[in-house]
Amino acid sequence: MKINYQDLINFLSEKPSKEDLSQKLFQLGHEHEISDDIFDMELTPNRGDCLSLIGLARDLAVFFGKSNSIDLFDGDIEPLEINFENLSPKDCPKISFLEIEIEESKVEYKPYLENYFSTIGGNKANLFTDISNYISYELGQPTHCFDAQSIKTKLTFKNKECNSTFKTLLNSEVTLKGRNCVFLIDDEIISLAGVMGGASTACTNKTKKVLVECAYFNPESIIGKSIKYNLVSDAAHKFERGVDIASQEMVLRRFTKIVQDHAKIKSIRFKSFGEAHNEDLNIPIDVNKINKILGTSLNKDEYLKHLKGLGFDILDEIKVPSYRHDIETNNDLAEEIARVIGYNNIKSTPINLQKIADNFDGKVVKLESLLVKNGFSEVINFPFTPNKEKESINIDNPLDSNRNNFRISLKESLIENLLYNERRQKDSIKLFEISDVYTKDKEIKQQKKLGLIISGRQGHNYNDFSKKLDEKYLNNLLNENHDEGIFEITEIYRNNLDSKKKDKIFYVETLLEDIPTSFLLKLSTQQKSIDFINYKPISEYPSSSRDFSFVIEDVQAVNEIIDMLNNISDEIIKDSFIFDLYRDDKRKITKLGYRFIFQSHQKTLSDSEINKKVHEILSPILEIDRVSIPGM
Amino acid sequence: MSDLDNINPPAISNEPGSLHPINQTKDYLLKLLADMGFKEVHGPEIETEEFNFDMLNIKKSHPARQMHDTFYVENKKNVLRTHTSPVQIRSMLNSKPPIAFTSAGKVYRKDDDATHLPMFHQVEGIYVDKDVTFANLKDLIHKILHELFGDNVQIRFRPSYFPFTEPSAEVDILSESGKWLEILGCGVVNPIVLENCNIDSNKYSGLAFGLGVERIAMLKYGVNDIREFYKSNLDFLAQFK
Repeated sequence: MKINYQDLINFLSEKPSKEDLSQKLFQLGHEHEISDDIFDMELTPNRGDCLSLIGLARDLAVFFGKSNSIDLFDGDIEPLEINFENLSPKDCPKISFLEIEIEESKVEYKPYLENYFSTIGGNKANLFTDISNYISYELGQPTHCFDAQSIKTKLTFKNKECNSTFKTLLNSEVTLKGRNCVFLIDDEIISLAGVMGGASTACTNKTKKVLVECAYFNPESIIGKSIKYNLVSDAAHKFERGVDIASQEMVLRRFTKIVQDHAKIKSIRFKSFGEAHNEDLNIPIDVNKINKILGTSLNKDEYLKHLKGLGFDILDEIKVPSYRHDIETNNDLAEEIARVIGYNNIKSTPINLQKIADNFDGKVVKLESLLVKNGFSEVINFPFTPNKEKESINIDNPLDSNRNNFRISLKESLIENLLYNERRQKDSIKLFEISDVYTKDKEIKQQKKLGLIISGRQGHNYNDFSKKLDEKYLNNLLNENHDEGIFEITEIYRNNLDSKKKDKIFYVETLLEDIPTSFLLKLSTQQKSIDFINYKPISEYPSSSRDFSFVIEDVQAVNEIIDMLNNISDEIIKDSFIFDLYRDDKRKITKLGYRFIFQSHQKTLSDSEINKKVHEILSPILEIDRVSIPGM
Repeated sequence: MSDLDNINPPAISNEPGSLHPINQTKDYLLKLLADMGFKEVHGPEIETEEFNFDMLNIKKSHPARQMHDTFYVENKKNVLRTHTSPVQIRSMLNSKPPIAFTSAGKVYRKDDDATHLPMFHQVEGIYVDKDVTFANLKDLIHKILHELFGDNVQIRFRPSYFPFTEPSAEVDILSESGKWLEILGCGVVNPIVLENCNIDSNKYSGLAFGLGVERIAMLKYGVNDIREFYKSNLDFLAQFK
C-alpha cells in the first residue's frame, strides 16, 4: 500500500521528518520502502486497520500526537427508503447505504483529491468512484458506488451457489463458481461483494444520483475470491484483513463532505442495516502480567500511557478499539507495549538450559561418512513427479501436471542428476540421496530411503582413471565383495534414457530399516564438523579438456615436471590432474599423462584460445632436457 | 607392470565427495542448538490441517491456508507441512514442561520463482517453562546469531506477526554492505497454542524461533541464487567438502 508522506503528516500533530517517520514505522513493525514522498508499506496481515492514512496515523500518534483533521458532513441526513434484504447477515453483519443526488458534476477536483490521483491514485474514473477510492485510501473503508438509476427493484445480499458469468466494472468477464457473496437485482448478480462491482450498475460521468454501499464483510467470506477470479482488488485486500465495523456512518458522512466539496447536493439519504454486534472487548488492567510476558519492569502509569497513545480507552478496564481485530489477550497488549518501547530497547535476560548431546540418526551419519569418504556427493531433490503408482500420494493442487505426485523412489531423481552432470562433461559420477519417502496403503507410511547411483571413471588419479565404476566396485564398497550381498545392485540401461554415452550405470536403493546392524557396526561414526567455505560461482559455459603425454627420459626430472604441472594455475584452467604414470624400465623412459580442463566464466572458449594457453603453459616444461610430447 | 618406485610417484589422492551444503548447514544449526540445550524431535512431512494450522492458531481465514499457498494432498485430507512447527505441537502433546525442542527438515509452499522454491528447509526451536519471557527470547536469539555471524554482528528486532507467537518478531542482521538482512522469525509462544497442547498457560510460557536453512546457507557460503542448491551440479556440490 502506498502512502504519501505529505498526506500522512496532516494527521499528526508533530510533523516528523521522513527519516524520523521511517524509523518509528520500523519500530512499530511497519516495513516500507521510500521513494520521494511515497512510502510503500508492507503491513503484516493482522494489521488491516493500518491500511489507510488514519490507520497509520492512529499507530504513529503514540509518538507524534494526532491531529483531528477529518472534515465530516455534520448536517441532517434524511432516512433512505430502500428495498434491500440481507439474506446472509453472517457474512455481512452490518451494511449502510447512502444516496446522494447532485445537480451537476463537471468540477475541478480540490487539491487533496487531485493530488491523490497525481501521486498514488492512478487514473480517474468519475466523481463518485474517485471519491470512493480516495476514502478507501484515507479511512481504510472500501465503499461501492452504484448508479442509483440502475437499481429500480429489490436489492439483495446473499451467499449463493453460483454458476454464471458476471461482467465487472472494469469490463472483464468472470465466471463465478461455487459459493460467493453477491448483490443481486432480480436474481441477476450485479456485484461480487467485497471484491468488485459489476458493469451494469457502475457509475459513469453522467451519474447524478449515486447509491453508496458501505459494509463490513466477514474476512472468511471474502478471502481467496480475488485470487480465485484473478481480480486485483484493493477492497478485497482490506475486507480480508477486517475493516472497522463501527465506522460506517462516519465514512459516509466523510463521503458526503467530499461530494459537497465538489458539487451542489440536491438530496442526501442514509440507512443502516444490522448491528455492530461484536461486543466491545475489554481487558483488565494488569501491568504485572505484561511485565511477566516481556520480562520488563514497567510501572502502571507508563503502561497505560502507551496504550492511550495507541488509541485504547482506559476506564476500569482497557477498552479495545473497534478497528483492532488483532487484540484479544494480554499477550496482544504486551506486543503493543513492546512496540512502543521498541523491541531493541528491551533488555535481554539469559535462560538457564544445559548443553545436551546432539541426537543425529546414527545410521544416517554412518552411511553419509562411508559414502563421502568414497567420493560420493550428496544431492537433495524435490519430491514431485508425474509418475503415478498405486501407492503414490497425489497432490491436489500441483504446480503443474509434471509435479502432481509424491515420489515413492529416489531412482528417477538420481538418474536425472546423473544425466545432468554427464551433459556437463562429468566423466566420474557418484551421487547419493537419503530422504523420507511417503506411500499410502490404508494409511500414509513414511520410510527413510538411501539411493545411490554411479557411472563413468572410478576416479581421476592415475590408478583409477582407466577403471570404470561398475558392479564390482559397488560390491567391494557395500557387499564385502560378495555378489549376493546386503545391497541389491541393479544396472540401469541407457536405451530408455535418451543418452548416447557408453558407460554403464549402476544403482542401489534400500530402506534404511533394511540395512542390517552388522553392516553398520563396521562403519565408523565420523564426528561432524563444518567449515563454511567461500563459495565460488560456477561457470555456465562448457568446459574443454586437453590431454598430454609426456615422455621423460631423465628420471630425476619426473618430480620436477609433476611439480611444475601441479603449480600451473590460470583463470581458465578449471582442473588438472595426472591420469597416467608409467615407467618403462627397458626403454628407460617415464610416461606421464596429464589432463587440463579449460573453462571460462565469461564465454565458450574457442580452440585457438585454448591452444594459445596450452602453448604458454607447456613451453617452460618442454625446455627441460630430454622431455617431449610425441606428436607435438 | 613397471617399477614406479624409482621415480618417487606422487601420492594418489582419493577425491572425497561431499555432504549437501543444506544438510551441512542444518546439522550445524542442530548441533549449535543442542549445545544450548535443545533436543531434536521428528515428525512427518505430510500433515493434517489440524496440526499444521489449527493447533497453531492459524485460522481458516489465514491466507496461508488457501490452495495457492499450501499443497493439499489426497483430496484435501492432508497437507504438505508448510513449516516444521507441527512437529513441535506433536512433541508438546507428548511431554510436560520444561521442554526445549528443535525440529528440522523439509517444508513445502506452493511457490516457484527466482527466490522461492516449492520445497525448502527449516530449523525451529521451542522452549517452554515457568516464567519464560520476551527478554529471554532476545538473549537466546542474540546468542544464536553471535554463534552464527560472530560477536560483533549488529542485530535488530522488528515487530511482526505469526499466529502462533505473541509478541512476534523478525530479526535482521547488518550485512557487510550495510544492508539489513532478515534472518529469522521468533516470538513468545501464544498461550492459545500452549492450551491447545494441554499446557497450562497460567503456569507456563514459552519462546519459539524459526530459521530458514537456505537463507543461512546462502549467507554463510556466499551463494546468491537459492536454486543452485537443487541443481545437483557436481561443480557446485564439490565445493562443499
